[in-house]
Amino acid sequence: MSSLVPLMPLLVVGIGGFILMLVDAFSDEKAELATLSSTILFAAAAISGVLAASKTGIAAPPPGVAPFLATSAMAQFMNATICTGAGMSALLAGGYLREHALERGEFYVLLVLSAFGAMVLSASTDLLSLFIGLETMSLGVYCMVAFRRSSPRAAEGGMKYFLLGSFAAAIFLFGAALLYGATGHTDFDGIGKAIAEGTSSARFVLLGMVLVLIGLAFKVSAVPFHMWTPDAYEGAVTPATTFMSVVVKAAAFAVLIRMLIACFGGEALSNLVTGWPAIISALAAATMVIGNLAAATQANVKRMLAYSSIAHAGYIMVGLATLASQDPEVRATAVSAVMFYLAAYTVSNVLTFGSLIALGTYAKEAVSYEDLAGAGRRHPLIALPFVIGVLSLMGFPPTAGFLGKWYVFSAALAADDSLLWLVILGVLSSVIGAYYYLRVVVYLFMKAPEPGAPIAVPLRSGYVVLALVLSGYFVLKMGITPAHYIDIALAAATKLG
Amino acid sequence: MSQHLLSLLCGLPLLSAFVVLFAPRQMVGFIRGFTVLSMLGTFFLSLGLLDGHYATAAFQFPERHVLVPTYGITYSVGVDGISLWLVLLTTFMTPLATYASWTNVSTKVKEYAISFLLLESAMLGAFVALDLFLFYVFWELMLVPMVLIIGIWGGVQRIYAAVKFFLFTMVGSVLMLVAILYLVAQYKAQTGHYSFELAELKLLLLPVHVQVWLFAAFALAFAIKVPMFPLHTWLPDAHVQAPTGGSVILAAVLLKLGTYGFLRFAMPLFPSGSHRLGSSIALLAVIGIIYGAYCAWRQEDVKKLVAYSSVSHLGFVMLGIYSVSQHGISGAILQMVNHGISTGALFLLVGVIYERRHTRELGEFGGLAKVMPAYATIFVIVTMSSVGLPATNGFVGEFMILAGAFMSEHLGKNGPIFAFFAATGVILAAVYMLHAVLRMFWGPLTNPENEGLSDLTRREGLVLAPLVLLIFYIGLYPNGLLRDMNASVEAFSREYTAKLIAGDRNPDRRDMLEKAWVPSDGLGAGGAQLEQPAREVQLARAGVVARTLEGGTP
Repeated sequence: MSSLVPLMPLLVVGIGGFILMLVDAFSDEKAELATLSSTILFAAAAISGVLAASKTGIAAPPPGVAPFLATSAMAQFMNATICTGAGMSALLAGGYLREHALERGEFYVLLVLSAFGAMVLSASTDLLSLFIGLETMSLGVYCMVAFRRSSPRAAEGGMKYFLLGSFAAAIFLFGAALLYGATGHTDFDGIGKAIAEGTSSARFVLLGMVLVLIGLAFKVSAVPFHMWTPDAYEGAVTPATTFMSVVVKAAAFAVLIRMLIACFGGEALSNLVTGWPAIISALAAATMVIGNLAAATQANVKRMLAYSSIAHAGYIMVGLATLASQDPEVRATAVSAVMFYLAAYTVSNVLTFGSLIALGTYAKEAVSYEDLAGAGRRHPLIALPFVIGVLSLMGFPPTAGFLGKWYVFSAALAADDSLLWLVILGVLSSVIGAYYYLRVVVYLFMKAPEPGAPIAVPLRSGYVVLALVLSGYFVLKMGITPAHYIDIALAAATKLG
Repeated sequence: MSQHLLSLLCGLPLLSAFVVLFAPRQMVGFIRGFTVLSMLGTFFLSLGLLDGHYATAAFQFPERHVLVPTYGITYSVGVDGISLWLVLLTTFMTPLATYASWTNVSTKVKEYAISFLLLESAMLGAFVALDLFLFYVFWELMLVPMVLIIGIWGGVQRIYAAVKFFLFTMVGSVLMLVAILYLVAQYKAQTGHYSFELAELKLLLLPVHVQVWLFAAFALAFAIKVPMFPLHTWLPDAHVQAPTGGSVILAAVLLKLGTYGFLRFAMPLFPSGSHRLGSSIALLAVIGIIYGAYCAWRQEDVKKLVAYSSVSHLGFVMLGIYSVSQHGISGAILQMVNHGISTGALFLLVGVIYERRHTRELGEFGGLAKVMPAYATIFVIVTMSSVGLPATNGFVGEFMILAGAFMSEHLGKNGPIFAFFAATGVILAAVYMLHAVLRMFWGPLTNPENEGLSDLTRREGLVLAPLVLLIFYIGLYPNGLLRDMNASVEAFSREYTAKLIAGDRNPDRRDMLEKAWVPSDGLGAGGAQLEQPAREVQLARAGVVARTLEGGTP
């Protein structure tokens, strides 16, 4: 019995994107687009959230869709995360773009269509749909990065991201071609079966796998494929930065999970020494250490958050490395840990970026630590969410970020001792993280602005307030009473689809 | 009400913090009064804990709710003879420290009140938590308010001190987190389900080399907090920069969480690991005693002197704990309370003179006894308590610790040597404290700036009086405190020794016990009997071990 219900989130976002375009063309009031786009995205998030949590199971999608897109509980969970992150970014854009005189309707259209691409990417079960999703998502994001046309930094960031992103896409495609050549399949299950049967050329499979992983590692900005991240994050308008750091990352990790299990999850390739676990572990280690070290030296808060998002990719990759285990229970734990982490990271990051947006006004955007000096005293209601946001990113209880870290590291240790070194490296590098996140708190509450320096005036926008309240609520909710979310993630993790 | 007493204790400050949060900033008087009153309320509430039955080692006022069923995370709290007095110390010192702060904290009063209330909540939570996850949450939660207190209301170098304090503690605690996760993973591997509850995890028997590493991770976190030599370098900075109220709480309560952590978690969970490293820890404790005393002696800044004296005193506590004898541990717990009272009082006294003179340099003072007689009297009494003069509380604690270390079976032939060197610490304490008293209060009044100083105000007297009373009360009648500790301490050392024999010293015997172990036996080890959760068979081992030791047949 097939039905369109499991495709509802995708349909809502996709059709919503086109409606937005029409509304944009025929209306003058641009800020309505923020309301409209966030409503569309939150509606999709709610639908997929309900689907993910449903106990009765999810109906099969129409026959033409099934081989390409997963509609499982896991896919719905990721849809919910992606749409929540995108919806909150749209809210932030509603406040930010108007304040900075950048209000143009195409931003929301790009945002919603990129979110659509991200949903396709995260749900794909075939190399072809993966590539289509990847490109749909990326093209929108390239434009969003370069949205502030007058700024050379935005142009630089957008250009860099576009060139490196295209390069990564090419590498990915090359890998996909090799995999197809070696196995004769483009769907993940088919590739997985062919590899397990041993009928394919191991050399091509290995090379294809590495190239495909590299292509996706670009998108999650894993070291050493992270060079574009700080520039793109810094140059982009802050809502676009938020979108990139949460939505793109969540989508790419979701598809990585599915690929690593379905395509390369067999004994041969998930061997700890010779298979992908070694690659992923090495990437995770480098990403955590270099991301945190580089973040600690930044003077610009946006760049710091860019490097910190690299560091977070590293923690998440510890969860990916855990997928090497052949024990289904450990795998399910690891998958749910990564899913939970992505959800927690999404809301924490929105909260942090939202507070940063809230502290800047036209021509006086808060970007450096000095801009934050003394703001905690003058505007405690903005400083408070900022502090909660950075504490969550730091992994401090009782916030969502702490639960996320706890879950990922706990899953890694539950597998076996082989990941112990990675976990220790992870927590130690998170101490470096504590240093630079704490600096935000130090500047907010313990420093006074330099005499004569311009004093940040907070932005007044209902959109930003709404985004802060929503994300703050989830950061604390997932941190204090996480049982519900953990159980949904765990149940979803057993049905990857 | 009594079954929710502990939750009420942790919840009341938190609730008050919310009230203060929504109070208008201008109502400074209300905020100040309300904060202290709610803390006093917490104190009187906590006196209800004295009604528990501490003649048994079982946890009193237990409460248990499952938070995350899938991963066995529970909200389980309880108090026994080990934590009882530390909880009371917390609820007692916090209102005093806050009340004393209101003379010198005049900016951002609201934030200060909120920080203190949150801090109290977290400290109480950490003392009563019986679930490792819960404990970790409270343990970390203490950090933020304290960092804010140091960093916002502190001295010139406050930011450096706050960040250093934060990072030091963080390094220790994240490694402890890994150890907790590893331990729980081992539990899962052995029993098939997750649990973060101390009572459950305590029953695991892990291989010695694993225990050593896990213990080391826990010990690092706790040793930083204590702080033990050579991890103490954050302490002088934090103490000197913190405002008076912050220093008092830091010294009186926060440091105790380190030593308490050893007693409650690190040692019962990993006895064999603890035993392997025990002598080294005792050695570091003794080095800390002497080194702290020497550093204190060389200080010109009174506050720094008191800070280093903490390093020395906490060395005694650690030595007492590692003697693993009834005397030593009881003495250590008593000394934790004593140190809280006397060092808390010393920081308050230093705060008093600093408010008047805005300096803490010993060289600036001299002959103060002539202008501030009441101040001088109380300072000398507190000094005597800190030095350990008989009839004051410090004497009882230090004596018991030294006796415990001297006769300790666990320290073996090193015991008397450690006790000998620790005893020199008592003499050194007299040297540095009396040296300071001499330079501050006696001699001619040379500095003209000291001439017009006013004596203690009524407010200051009100804060110090209960501390002085306690100094004598505990000094003359220590049994009032020791009585309630005995059962828990005895259970602690018995269980520790039993698990040690089973797990470490005699591997052959361990195999024998394992073979003889009966699955249906639901007997747990020693105390820690919360409403018995379904006990997995594997875990009964330690219980069998304990009984074997007492002479029964397994």
